[in-house]
Amino acid sequence: MTERDQFAAEYALGLLEGEELLVARARAAREPDFADAVAFWEAKLAPLLDDIGGAAPSPALWQRIEAAIEDAPASGEIVDLRQRLRFWRFASFGAAAAAVAAFALVLIQPLPSAPGPQTAEAPMVANIPIGDTDLRLAVTYLPDRREMLVSASGLTADGVHDHELWLVPDEGELRSLGVVRPGEEVRMPLDPGLAALIHNGSQMVLTREPIGGKPPAAAAGPVVAEGTFATI
Amino acid sequence: MSNAARARLTGAMQRLATGDKRALEEVYRLTNVKLFGICLRILGDRKEAEDALQDVYLNLWRRADRFDPERASPISWLATFARNRAVDRLRTGKVRAGSVPVEAAAELPDAAPLADDLLIDAERAERVHGCLDTLDENTSDAIRAAFFGGHTYAELAEAQEVPLGTMKSWIRRGLAKLKTCLEKGE
Repeated sequence: MTERDQFAAEYALGLLEGEELLVARARAAREPDFADAVAFWEAKLAPLLDDIGGAAPSPALWQRIEAAIEDAPASGEIVDLRQRLRFWRFASFGAAAAAVAAFALVLIQPLPSAPGPQTAEAPMVANIPIGDTDLRLAVTYLPDRREMLVSASGLTADGVHDHELWLVPDEGELRSLGVVRPGEEVRMPLDPGLAALIHNGSQMVLTREPIGGKPPAAAAGPVVAEGTFATI
Repeated sequence: MSNAARARLTGAMQRLATGDKRALEEVYRLTNVKLFGICLRILGDRKEAEDALQDVYLNLWRRADRFDPERASPISWLATFARNRAVDRLRTGKVRAGSVPVEAAAELPDAAPLADDLLIDAERAERVHGCLDTLDENTSDAIRAAFFGGHTYAELAEAQEVPLGTMKSWIRRGLAKLKTCLEKGE
């Protein structure tokens, strides 16, 4: 059995946790051969689920589901957004856990250039849900270091577009926070003028742009997701 | 499933993608008992299992296009999806880890048997059981506990009181053997 088959089997069975689980999820999203290997195991093992007897949920459950879908757009209505976001495929757990892990990394490995006030100001985080997928783009800002961390773990590029993150200041034009790099955690220092605009409750938007980000002469592309910084 | 029930479910799954709410209700009616049994088995708690089940149908509603009828039968796909969502809940810490003890997870469940028309595939179930039975008992118990209880390597090693590395090599050898056996049946 190849390493890939073995890892796929471990993932399909649910044996993995922590870092390995994140890696497996990312590979399932990015590597078609790995996804096929997972599907092989799922299909072969699925008949075992016939051994599990049935059980009736509470009769009220259907009403709960029905009420919840009243609030959610129907599949057909969001198909356009979905097509635009098809290449963003990842589970929220992966993105959230990766953000936490990457955040921990920031705290233990200060950039050499980071100015050094030792009193910590509370960090701010924003989780930006991508369309109706389970994906979250995780953004962490450390005010005392003026560093921002953008976690796009598990995201895959479509090869045609890039996505650019923007701060929506209280006044004035959008300020670019850079192009998101799919599958990467990016740490970046912010210049003081830009950093001063970020506060608890600041809004961000994500736009779809040509490769490389918004061309200087063009207007920003369509907004595909948005989020808000909150102090933690 | 019986052919008629299978056809109704396939039709309802296709209509789901167009945003037909009644299609979701039909999928729910045809599958909720089976899928709830699966969530309950993995999570060991009715409330958690109901939350997981709600999550399954809401996800299905929002992402009906995830199902590809050319790749899987609807009931097999839905059952796998429900199991995976329930296991995800264990991993995200929403549920106390190890809700169902490892020893109990390895045993065959004894809940209400399902009608024939809810079965995924009796013939293939026989094959995967036959293949699991060719493994040594510790290994097949561990694989069953992982599948039915959503247990990790670490939990399985602890339950059987062996080092983590030992449990990994048991299971990895077992999976290699299982794959060879399962492929013979194709």
